Amino acid sequence: MILTSANTLANKEIIDYKGLVTGESLIGANIYKDLFSGVRDVVGGRTSRYEEELEKARDIALESMKEKAENLGANAIIGLKISYDNLGGTMGNTILVTAYGTAIKYE
Amino acid sequence: MKYIREAFICILTGTLVGLVVYGFFLHFNIAIYGWNLGLIFAPLAAGYVETILANRFIGENIGAISAFFLFIYTTFYSFILKNPTLGFNIITIGSIAVILQAAFPTAVNYILFSIGFGIISYFSGIFKKITNHVYNLILGYYEKYVLKEPHILDLERIEEKKSYEVPTFNEKESNERINSLDFYFMTSTDLITMKHENIGIFNTHVIIEKYKRLNLTPQEIENKALYELKKGKDECLIKLSEEIKSAGGNGVIDLEIQYGLIGLGGDSFQINAIGIGVKLFS
Repeated sequence: MILTSANTLANKEIIDYKGLVTGESLIGANIYKDLFSGVRDVVGGRTSRYEEELEKARDIALESMKEKAENLGANAIIGLKISYDNLGGTMGNTILVTAYGTAIKYE
Repeated sequence: MKYIREAFICILTGTLVGLVVYGFFLHFNIAIYGWNLGLIFAPLAAGYVETILANRFIGENIGAISAFFLFIYTTFYSFILKNPTLGFNIITIGSIAVILQAAFPTAVNYILFSIGFGIISYFSGIFKKITNHVYNLILGYYEKYVLKEPHILDLERIEEKKSYEVPTFNEKESNERINSLDFYFMTSTDLITMKHENIGIFNTHVIIEKYKRLNLTPQEIENKALYELKKGKDECLIKLSEEIKSAGGNGVIDLEIQYGLIGLGGDSFQINAIGIGVKLFS
């Protein structure tokens, strides 16, 4: 499965539009993680635990999107968009990760 | 300005009394864990004497200025002049906190009780847990002693809890539904091989109120939120397709789906779908 944020696939001919595919995941309430990142926020530096969580959430969203594209018979996703939105939550740390794009078939 | 001389005398007397008290504590080494109690009692004595004198000769309080002088002097003498190598340990931190508390009670109390507890509650969510517990406790007593029908209400509450359990979102069904609308959703601006005509920019939104049940865990609330967001996204896309269809189109290009918070304190989710409506000719 090819994923691209571009409008076309280089050196490949798009032969069919298959549909819109989306994937979402949420990371949120975890008291120890929040406490840890809170301490790092005070002293500065990178919160690697959070970065790992974000990567995990992005992978879940992408996998969910790819699975849907496969179900539609697509072999690529173009115009891919990934976004991270803070949606408040219990501790103000709920992040929604969304991935969506246009599933197509190429030759 | 009328009583400036009297005020000066009051402050001077207060300061002298404070110094005598501090000397007394130092001389007899009245201390706890090496920390001299004169650091507290000297400013207190200074302020007390000054206030008594001011009330007597001026008729009003002049603000215990001598206590502030004593605070500066004792801190300078103890922590800088006498013991410049004082280690930064828990006793030192405690001592400094107590001295600051004596000198600036309002500011220090605010930091301790408002900011300190605020930080703890923010990261641990402890106050939410306490209010949930108190709420459920009061509800339990209310049912037991006022309504006197606890068994019926308990059953209802269990049923209510069950009814709020998050259903599983059927991703496959949702995807099929969106892609069987006889409508082209495209995130790209390239229309592959199709000719098209632009109709205009279209924007639809769905607003979902956040879930606020007290008896659910944060994890349950977030699962519910994700379910609602996915459902809301589908509704928003369907609305967009309907609007474009009613304008004579059959597709959207450069589609953007946005998620955000709206309402007082961000109490609702807002989902937007924005794109350029097009009429495609196959």
